[in-house]
This record gives sequence, structure tokens and C-alpha cells, in this order.
Amino acid sequence: MTTPVLLAVLALVLTGPAPALLARSEWPYRVPRAAVILWQAIALAAVLAALGAGIALSYWIAGRPGHPRFEPSSPRDLLAALILAMVALVVGRLLWAIGRVAVGTRARRKRHRDLVDVLATPDGLIPGLRVLAEETPLAYCLPALRGARVVVSVGALDRLDDSELKAVLAHEQAHLRARHDLVLEEFTALHHAFPRWVRSDVALEQARTLVELLADDDARRRNGPRPLARALVALAGAPAPDAALAAAKSATVLRVQRLAGPAANERRLSAITYTSAAALLVLPTITIAAPIVKAIVDALS
Amino acid sequence: MASEDKAPRPLGDLERLVMEQLWAAPAALTVREVHEQLAATRELAYTTVMTVLDRLAKKKLTERERDGKAWRYRAAAPREELAAGLMRDALDNSGDRREALVRFVGQVSDEEAALLRDALSRLDSQG
Repeated sequence: MTTPVLLAVLALVLTGPAPALLARSEWPYRVPRAAVILWQAIALAAVLAALGAGIALSYWIAGRPGHPRFEPSSPRDLLAALILAMVALVVGRLLWAIGRVAVGTRARRKRHRDLVDVLATPDGLIPGLRVLAEETPLAYCLPALRGARVVVSVGALDRLDDSELKAVLAHEQAHLRARHDLVLEEFTALHHAFPRWVRSDVALEQARTLVELLADDDARRRNGPRPLARALVALAGAPAPDAALAAAKSATVLRVQRLAGPAANERRLSAITYTSAAALLVLPTITIAAPIVKAIVDALS
Repeated sequence: MASEDKAPRPLGDLERLVMEQLWAAPAALTVREVHEQLAATRELAYTTVMTVLDRLAKKKLTERERDGKAWRYRAAAPREELAAGLMRDALDNSGDRREALVRFVGQVSDEEAALLRDALSRLDSQG
């Protein structure tokens, strides 16, 4: 009985307290790349542990290793089968969510790109750049396998000098090159795959912030911290009414404060983070695999 | 989707020009009318204009109706309306839409704007 309980506890810890604790910590912002991996590992490990708990429980109820025959008249076997069916249902729901998010995102992005192409004028400064004749300051990217776009509004151009614009474009190109949108898509799919009460908004929000930090680091390496920080302040100028309700410190404030500090070189911290991520993924796998391997060995000997 | 990406780049520019014609016209235009207007300033085949209008219709940016033997095209929506929708899309903060775009900066509150200016002046004073 220990394996299903252990896995269930692990799944609960990884969906609740662990993400909450991690989201409140400041250190992940010092190692954004490793932190993204850690968040992915947590999400994946939580799913694996939850599924593993179901499989292990079903296996424990069915019992009697070496007797794999399904007996429909036995309530034990029926219960075991029911649990397995639920596991399959969860897997199905997860796959469905991934597919739906992928299709929906691409359709929406394609429509948006079609509109950008007829409404905004190309600018030769960087490939795929489109300038939108709007006063609202705005800069963003539309990722795609081919034909990605970077959209900048006239309002943004007015507010930025040359070096600041360069920093913004470097930031957007970093997003596009690294396909940060795919990372966010995973977390969005996960977010949609589970019922509201186990959903991790925290993971998606943190992934969004970390991805911004990664693009910032790239732009900083190219042009230094100052143009980017100035651009952030220039474009964040317009206060939003509902932003006051948001979390204590928005990603924008975090990013500028981070740029104001020295560039981090956190080899040890990132090594520890990567190791934890790997351990998290291996842990549930081993707990599931161990009894099964043991049963096979028992059956053979 | 992929096949459109492979199309030569100028088609994209033409789409914009054609849409501008349609937005400026008081009524729906035939392919010939669009071609005549565009051909005044540039070398352009009639069939190219036809292709562009067809592509735009597939993208639901234009609507067409039969007029005798010819199709008449009009913009699916006024330019301002499409632009407003585009901005809504790009500025929308609610999770369901936001994953479509990765925006450079979000909006901030008044206190946060003060924090931002503060951090920036610290950075600038570092010399």
C-alpha cells in the first residue's frame, strides 16, 4: 500500500504547497532558465505521480502477482479496472487539452497575423517587423514556425529612442528564437486539463514571468541593461485601472529592478535547480517502476 | 498555412494594397476595377489581383458577391473595426487569449510606475 500513498502524497505536494512556495521565492528569478525547467519538471512529475498513484493502487487492489488474468465476477478486479479506467480518462483529458490549446492558439494567432499583415506596414529594420498605426504603445511578437512577426505600434516608436527600440526588438526576437510560446503553451494546456480546484494558475503565471526574464537576459547580453530598462519604463507608462488589484509586484517592476542590479552568474544555484528538476522526474518513475520490476523478477524466478 | 508562408513575400504587400483599395471604395469592386487602380502605379498581372482577392476571401478579410459574370469584393469590415479588434486581441490580459501573443510589457498601477522610475534612476546613476 505504500507506493500508491507515497505517489498520491507526492502528487498533492506538487500541485499545492510546492508551487505556492516556489512562486513566493525570489531565487528562481536569478536562474530563469533552470527555473523554467524546474517548473516543467514539477508539472510533469505531478501528472506522473497522480497517474502512478492510480496505477499502483489498481495494481495493489488486484494483488496476487503472477495472476494477471482479469476476473469480471471478482469485485476486487472490477474496482482495479475501474481505477485504471479513471487513469485512462485523465490521460485522455490531458491529451485533449493539449490538442485543443495547440489548435486554438494557432488559429487565433493565424487570424491575428492575417490582420497584422493587412493593417500594419512592413519595416526593414528586422525581418518580420510590422508597424501598426496606433497611438497605444505596444510591442509584441507572433510566434510561428515560419513567418513569425514582431508588431510595434507607432505609439511605441514615438516613445522609444534608437537604442531602446533595438533592445525591445532583441527581446522579442529572443522570444521567437527560443520558442517561448511553446513553453507557455504546455502550461496553458495543463491549466485547462484539470478541474478548477487542482489547477495551477501559479505555474502558468510564473512561466510567463520567467520567459520574460529569459528574453530580457538575451537583450541585455546584446545591448546592456540600460536601453531595455528605459524601454520597459517608457512603454509601461500607462497605468491600468485593474492592475492595482493585481499581485504586489508585477513582472514589469520585477524586470526593471532586476536590470538595475548586477548581471547574475549563478552556476551553483542553477546546477542545484537542474538537479532537483531531474530528481523530481525520476522519483515517481522509480516508485512506479520498482514494484512492477520486482513483480516481473518474482514471476520469472 | 505552410503553403501561404512559402508564397513570395510581395503577395503580402499586395494584400495590404488591395485591402486599402477596398476600404477606400464606396461600393464593392470587381477584380477588373481593383486591377485597373493598382496597375496605374505598378506592373501587375490581372491574375495576380485575382489570386490576392481570392486569398483575402479565404482569410475572411473580404466578402464577395456575384454580379452577372463577375465577382464583386468588399472588405469584410471597416479598417477601424479590424484595427480595434487587433488591439483588443493584443492588449487582452485574460488568460485565454494571452497565450497567443507574448507582449513586451504589461500595464502597471500608479505605485508601480513610481517603483519603475525609481529603479531606472538608480540604474542611470550607476554612471
